[in-house]
Amino acid sequence: MAQQGIWSGTVSFSLVAIPVRVVRAVTPGRISFRLLHRTDYSPLARRMFCPQHQTLVPPEEIVRGYEIEPGRYIPITDEELESVTPERSRTIEIVDFIDLDEVDPLYFDRPYYLLPLKGGEKSYRLLAEVMHQTNKAGLAKFVLAEREHLVAVKSNEGALLLVTLHYHSELLAADASTPKEIRGSAAETSRIKGSIRKMLAEFDPGKYADARREKVRELLQRKAREQAPVTSPHLEAAEEAGPPDLVAALEEIMREVKQQR
Amino acid sequence: MEIAGRRLALSNLEKPFYPASGFTKAEVVDYYRRIAACMVPHLRDRAVTLKRYPEGVSGPFFFEKRCPSHHPDWVRTAEVRHQGETLSACLVNELASLIWVANLAAIELHCPLARAASPETPDALVFDLDPGEPADVLSCARVALILRQLLSRLHLASLVKTSGRKGLHVFVPLNRPETSFEATKTFSRTVALSLQNNYPGLVTAKMAKEERHGRVFINWSQNDAAKTMICAYSLRGVEQATVSCPLAWEELEQLAAAEDPEKLRFSPGEVVRRAEQSGDLFAEVLMREQRLPHL
Repeated sequence: MAQQGIWSGTVSFSLVAIPVRVVRAVTPGRISFRLLHRTDYSPLARRMFCPQHQTLVPPEEIVRGYEIEPGRYIPITDEELESVTPERSRTIEIVDFIDLDEVDPLYFDRPYYLLPLKGGEKSYRLLAEVMHQTNKAGLAKFVLAEREHLVAVKSNEGALLLVTLHYHSELLAADASTPKEIRGSAAETSRIKGSIRKMLAEFDPGKYADARREKVRELLQRKAREQAPVTSPHLEAAEEAGPPDLVAALEEIMREVKQQR
Repeated sequence: MEIAGRRLALSNLEKPFYPASGFTKAEVVDYYRRIAACMVPHLRDRAVTLKRYPEGVSGPFFFEKRCPSHHPDWVRTAEVRHQGETLSACLVNELASLIWVANLAAIELHCPLARAASPETPDALVFDLDPGEPADVLSCARVALILRQLLSRLHLASLVKTSGRKGLHVFVPLNRPETSFEATKTFSRTVALSLQNNYPGLVTAKMAKEERHGRVFINWSQNDAAKTMICAYSLRGVEQATVSCPLAWEELEQLAAAEDPEKLRFSPGEVVRRAEQSGDLFAEVLMREQRLPHL
């Protein structure tokens, strides 16, 4: 299945520019559920509720606030946030090449495939091949979904892979809960080494599956065979609910109108 | 005879058009003559559909969108698209044209919500309230009053008229060049659904007959370039001569409180008296500029 690209532009370094598009390399893989009203299976909508005024809050009355301490906030507008949002970049500019082994796996965040666009196939293959031979990865800054990411471009079985990296400041230190000094007897050390040797295997990711997801999927398939699905009453109405802002405004007004009558 | 400098011949004036009360064609023509000052502004520049009753209201009737080819040259027409073809529709822009269509036994005059020159730009949004028995015009009045409150909270002024049959029409004046039927339809449908969800025993937004039983059907789909509404001040082709009559909101509140559906029926004589006293209660529909919020 041809995946839709989420970005297209060029990978560049020194005088090389390779046109590419970015596609996802992983899916979240979660089975998601809709929340329904138990009485008639109407799909439910999320609304913002103000506990202080006991009322639903329409979108135009919602602002962002950064909590500096409980109950105290710095309000911030969309415009202010936009003013510090980086421009969408057209290039993935590799600034350094590094040894892949130097990167602690802790830094790896999300992987994406880079696919060559027309005219870029030859230099794409060449870069992938050379990076594979030298076990090197390119480091670049790249704006995706309004965030600037530090990314590694590396070779993966003939294809180029882009992995977003966590910033150093995002990593949490482990030192709070791990013991500082290791004191083990020689016997203990060799016993553990022995166990590891016995259990040594080739890494075969296909062997491991998300067992719960498989079970949920089986459960759903069985239920679909055994009983007809339930239908929400106003499916047509729900689908055509109308502009969300108007719906929210009407719901709020309606509630007040009903109270007055 | 001559009306405002236009010559026209009237025919069969003695024929009873409303046999139950003996209301004649002459009285129909006379009603339209007397109400013209209020009514013509609501007809002006719109492609009028004539609902003609050649033998009066108890006889057969037909809708005529095409202006009869024998029209006097001073009756203006407009080229309009209808179901893929272009036809020439009557414009009733002056008293004489109104008398001429009345003489064609066009007891009912129906208008699109847009003018002929800008057929995709509605200048008002309408909530057509249609009661399914045993719901009646009083049920419509309840819904109309809730609608009015709802709209005013959205900072929209609205006006109401009787349909002249069993329903009520709530109009929201817009009169802005950027308005589209897509917008008015989306807005009216969303409001209708919201009312349906909050007053399920009183209101339905669905066309299906079984849903309408005992409820007020809010026909939001009237907000469409291809649809027409009965014009304010038009007579209706029902047994007793009644008119689609604009009301003040306070009046509707009082009439609804009185719980007598008969009080929400207005005869031509009453409508002329009301117009002489208070002028055109529907004038704001043509003038007030408003923008639909939250779209």
